[in-house]
Amino acid sequence: MVGTALDIMRRVRPPRAAFVDHPVGRTFGRPSDRRRQEEILTAALAELPKFTEAGQIHALQFQWESDGGRLWEEELRATLLSDR
Amino acid sequence: MAFEYLPVMAQSAAPKPPRVLVAPTKPAWHSLNKTVNQLRVALLTSAALRLADQPPFTPREDLSYRLLSSDPAAGKIIIDHHSRIGAVPRQDPEIIFPRTALATLAIQGFIGSPSPVHVSFMGGVRRQREIENELAPAIARELKQADVDLALLVPY
Repeated sequence: MVGTALDIMRRVRPPRAAFVDHPVGRTFGRPSDRRRQEEILTAALAELPKFTEAGQIHALQFQWESDGGRLWEEELRATLLSDR
Repeated sequence: MAFEYLPVMAQSAAPKPPRVLVAPTKPAWHSLNKTVNQLRVALLTSAALRLADQPPFTPREDLSYRLLSSDPAAGKIIIDHHSRIGAVPRQDPEIIFPRTALATLAIQGFIGSPSPVHVSFMGGVRRQREIENELAPAIARELKQADVDLALLVPY
């Protein structure tokens, strides 16, 4: 699995999981950024031989904002709580 | 510290009780007996993706699945999932379904090959027993038929 929801991943314990610290729904980066999509997929697949037992979660070294900013969390929270 | 989804999901669901998370009853671990560059890889997505000529998913408890060609030129991907987060991935479904990136990694020799088909289903379905006893085995049969070594799930 390649996922963005670490708290959920910890609860459901997939056999092999790579965590990307991105907003849900943007696992492989921003729209049209093919290079970043390939980088994240490559990093996730490169973790495969490192898993030794079920339930391990390996954090990939990617962040949504280049400066490590977390303002995206407020936008995401508002989206998740918005009326449809 | 990673964003915590469970409290937000509980707040969003209120006054209904929060969603119950269910882990599989059977162990899913299987040892890796090939190197990454030998693997045939399939993508699994819970975003209810389909091609335009395939029948739509039906929110919210649809237990069907769609097989999507791994050819990036196979046609426009439509997102049927009802999630509020859909606006951005609808601009480019590859950010949740990296079909083109996987094909590129195969050309580069990083993986063996993409599976001829990837698999899409509806996430957030609450019929856990049917998922485990019907949907998951049906998908597993499809993957076995396609001689897939690795199924890579990207949750939505």
